[in-house]
Formats: sequence, C-alpha cells, structure tokens
Amino acid sequence: MSSLRDPARRVSPRARVLWQVECAISAGVAVIAVAVAALVWDASFRWWVVGGVALLAVAYAAVVPQWRYAVHRWEVTETAVYTQRGWWARERRIAPMSRVQTVDLAQGALARAFRLATVTVTTASAAGPLRIDGLDHTTAVALVDELTAKADLVEGDAT
Amino acid sequence: MNEPWLRLDPRMLLVHPLREVVKFLPVLIGMVVAGGASGAGPWGVVGIGVPVVIGLVRYLTTSYRISESRVELRRGLVQRHTLSSGLDRVRSVDVTATVAHRALGLATLVIGTGSVATDGDEQLELDGLPREQADALRSRLLRLSTAPAGTTEPGAAPAAVPIARFSARWLWYAPFTSAGLVALGALVGVVGQTSEMVDLDLRISEDDLEAVTGLLLLGAVAAVAVLVVVVTVVGYLVVNGGFTLVREGGAWHVRRGLLTTRDTSIDETRVAGVSRGEPAGLRLARGARLSVIATGLARSGDASTILVPPAAQAVVAGAAEAVLGSPAPMSAALRPHGRAAVRRRYTRALLGALPFAAAPVVLVAVGGPAWLLLGAALAAGVALALARDRARALGHTLVDGFIVTRSGSLLRRRDALGTEHVIGWTFRDTWFQRRIGLTDVAATTAGGSGQVGVPDVPAEAAITWAGSATPGLVDPFLTSSARV
Repeated sequence: MSSLRDPARRVSPRARVLWQVECAISAGVAVIAVAVAALVWDASFRWWVVGGVALLAVAYAAVVPQWRYAVHRWEVTETAVYTQRGWWARERRIAPMSRVQTVDLAQGALARAFRLATVTVTTASAAGPLRIDGLDHTTAVALVDELTAKADLVEGDAT
Repeated sequence: MNEPWLRLDPRMLLVHPLREVVKFLPVLIGMVVAGGASGAGPWGVVGIGVPVVIGLVRYLTTSYRISESRVELRRGLVQRHTLSSGLDRVRSVDVTATVAHRALGLATLVIGTGSVATDGDEQLELDGLPREQADALRSRLLRLSTAPAGTTEPGAAPAAVPIARFSARWLWYAPFTSAGLVALGALVGVVGQTSEMVDLDLRISEDDLEAVTGLLLLGAVAAVAVLVVVVTVVGYLVVNGGFTLVREGGAWHVRRGLLTTRDTSIDETRVAGVSRGEPAGLRLARGARLSVIATGLARSGDASTILVPPAAQAVVAGAAEAVLGSPAPMSAALRPHGRAAVRRRYTRALLGALPFAAAPVVLVAVGGPAWLLLGAALAAGVALALARDRARALGHTLVDGFIVTRSGSLLRRRDALGTEHVIGWTFRDTWFQRRIGLTDVAATTAGGSGQVGVPDVPAEAAITWAGSATPGLVDPFLTSSARV
C-alpha cells in the first residue's frame, strides 16, 4: 500500500491568524451585502435569511482557516519541491528541482503586518506555479535563497 | 553581429495599401457617398492617400536581420520596437500566404520562440518575403535551431515522403466536426437577422400551422441539413485542402489551405507528445483529429498545433505512430479506474440532469399534462448514456516511454506525453474524492495547455503511475512503510 505522505513542514502558525482575519473580512462583507439587500427587500422571512447567512459566515471564518492550516504544508529536498494546499479540495504538487525556472517572494499589506510571505515557484508549464502561502518571512527568504542555489546547479533551459 | 539590416520585399507596398484600403472601405464608401452629395473632391484623395502612406511608412520602418545566433526585427515609426531572439530558442516556423500574398509571390514568416506573449506586437513576424526566400529562411532557422552549427550538411536530407496527404474522402468528416454546429448556429442567426431586417412577419397563425404538413417540415429540415453540410464541407476544403504532413530536415511540416496557404514547421526535438481528439460527432463518423504537444507551442487549440485535421482514424493512427515512433501510445489498452470512478461518473451525470428531470415531474404534480414526464425520462436517459460513455473513456497507462491518458465523452481525447517532457505532477482531490480514494492526476509539461491529466485515478494507481513515469521524483514523498 503506497501512498503520498504529507510534506514535512507546516507553514507559520501565524498564517492561521492571517487567514482568520482575511476570512472574517470577506464573510463580513457578504453579511453586510445581504443585510443591505434585506433592508430594501420586504418579505416576512428576510431577517431569517440574513441570520442564516451570518451563521454560515461565522462557520466559514471559524472553520476554513483551521482546516487550511491543517492542509498547507511544504517540503524541499535536494531533487524536488513538494507543496500541499487547499482545504475542501486538496492540491499536491511535485516539481523536480531541475525544472524550476523562477522563484518569487510576495507579501501583501496584511501579510506584512503578520511578517508572512508567499513563495511562488514557477516551472515552464502553463498550468500554473507551485505556491506556498503563509510562510514566516525569515523562512521564506531562506527558502528562496535555497531554491535559487539548488536550481542554479542544474544545466539546461528547464523545459 | 555585423549582418546588415534587411528590408521586406518591396512588393509588400502593394499588399499593405490593399489591405489598408479594405480596412478603410467603409470610410471610403461613406466619403464617396457624402462627397458625391456635397461635391467635396480633396477628401477622396485623403481617403486613398492615408492607407498608401501608412503602408509605405510600415515598409520603410520595418527591417530584420539574422545572424549565426540571433534573429532581430525592428519596426515602428514613433514607437520603435526591436524584437530579438536566440536562434536556439526557435521552436516553430510558420509560413502563411493569403490570396493577395500568393498573387504577388510573397509569404509571411512567423517565428515561434515559445514566448507566452499573446500581444501581436511581440510576435516575430516577417510579413512579406519572397516565397522562395521565406522557404529558404525557414529551413535555415530550423537547421540552426535543431543542430549545433556545422554538424549538418545541406543537401544530405533524405527525400521527404508525406506521412499523410489530403484525400477527398476526408470531406465526409467535415459535417461531424464542431464546425457543423457553428454553421448551424450561424445559419439560424443569419435567418433571424435578415428576417428582422426585411421586416418579415414571422408570427404564425392557427391556419398556418394546419397548412404546415409533415412533408413541408421534413423539407425544411432537409434544406437546413443540406446547407449545413455544404457550408462545413466548403469550409473544411478551404482550410484543409492540399494538406500534407511531411518529416524533413529534423522538423515536421504541416501544409494546408486552399486559398490562404499555411505551412507550419515544428522542430522535431520539441515534440513532447500528441493529443488525439475524438469528439462524439467525429467518433460517430469513425474519424479523429491529431494535434501536437510541443515545447513552447502554447495553447492546444492553436491552429499551428494541428497535425492532422478531422480524418479517418487509420490516418490519424498512422500519423501518431510516425510522430511518436511507436503505435503503442495510441493503441495500447488503458488501465481502467475501477468501480468508484465509474460510480462517480453516474452520480455526477445524474446530479447534473436532476433539475431537468425534476422540473417536469413537479409540473405534472401540480397539474401539468402527463406527457411532460417524457422530458424527465429523456433527461435521465441522456445523463445515463453520457455517464456510461464517460466511464468507458477513463483510463491511463505508461507505454514505450509515454504516459497516456484518455477521458471525456462529447470531447473525448487521448493524450500521449513523453516521460522526459514531464516537468512535475499535480494530484488534486476534493473531500468527496479522498473519501473514496480517488484523485485527479496531471503531469505538467512545457508544451500545449501545460498539463496532461485524467480525473479520478485510484490513489495508489496514481502514485505507481507517476512513480514509474518519472523514477525517483515521487519516491521520497511516499509513506515510510512503502519505501523500499
């Protein structure tokens, strides 16, 4: 019975807080939008709808960041990069070090407040890059250096 | 880099103004009409002059040069553009010629370098070279890109034998392509537009309905069918007439087109695999089409990736065998995905059909006519047939150094990708899939749409498949008990 294991390393625990804030913001916006709609829409059950949406929003903001934190993991070996992300749908990606083309570090305004960063690893494929969200900034910088050094050792144009 | 900058062919001075005049035609007509009424002469001169000047400026400001290692293109008057690319990055060369080009003995050369830029400005396009020069340049570019300088002797290439050649019998497949549906849609649109324009009253009274006999209806349907067949066959002939697929000088050459000829050359070393499209309509007619997955050739729908247009399955099989060097990837039996994957096909199809099946039932329940239930049965029937076909399509394997996948029903395709071109793996599964041990697997690659994938592979088979296709890549990430 062979199966893929989870990548070895978790992302920063602070990522949970960041995601909670992000989820709370988007859930809050949704609730406000529905509430505004309820003010102009006159049906007897309108506030029940708003209540339902608010309940869903709270559940979303409470559950999704935790779930995502449990799923998001990453690992870099001498030969490959292995990432896992998502929550309901889980995506695991493996790219050989020899095919890495660019390594990117990005920080949003909110992420900067939490000293978190996203590392993006692109290959020559048009199917999208590998992404590791919610890394501690220091870890991310070290990871970028490590990946750059390792990818550099391989000859060829990575296609 | 001391090569001189070269101009395009001066005959382009005729093509560009001609094209500009066609673009300006609505304006010109407007001016002639308005000018005729007001009697203003000078405007007519401007209308003719502006396009001619634009053409002249374009000709004078565009130049190119090709050295041992780079190709460069310079253009623009106000905003100067210089495009430059290394010759070792040339992945494909396209030589097209519109009717205007052909009349003047010219052709357009487009150099594909694998850049993902879709902006027309960023394309290495030499519009307007003498035909012979374009052909010579093409073979020079491909020779330089495929082999290190000096290792190939010109003239040593063996005589090229076409792998596939256009046959009038292929016209049979034209109505079964998606172009048939498009033609039908266009026909309906045109009829709707014209009836509106001439203000036809299309309201039908009760008496008219009685007058419409079955025979008349049959005649109308037959007329539409004939029209669709004619449109698709003519369209197919114009695009694919004179098709040949040839291997020559380390590249694949696809030539096709009756009016605008298109001659695509794909560097052999960039061919990563092929994709055989067998949509439901074509399968019904025992046909298929073939396109290439080539490094640096973006978008699988791109016309320059076509290897064989809709044609007989045997022709496609022969071409695939020649390109891949083995018949197995397109003929080998595939590993089915098991009962869970089959059940998932049925669940998903039936869930999709549920609204269409439920609506009539609800309508009948609230007092609608009973024959509405036929609609529900039809929806369920279609869903079941689709699910059955989709379940049968699912499969994957590894044969002769190619990973092979097949999936889909209405748009079924079978892809083969050389394992050395796999540049990563993606395993994607939702909570539902994890529960029943299935996962969507895709091998990423630098060509085509970027990946070759198949849904709902049993998790263990997925790992075995990926592991044997790319030895050593997946192994370090297996559960420790599984490691040898």
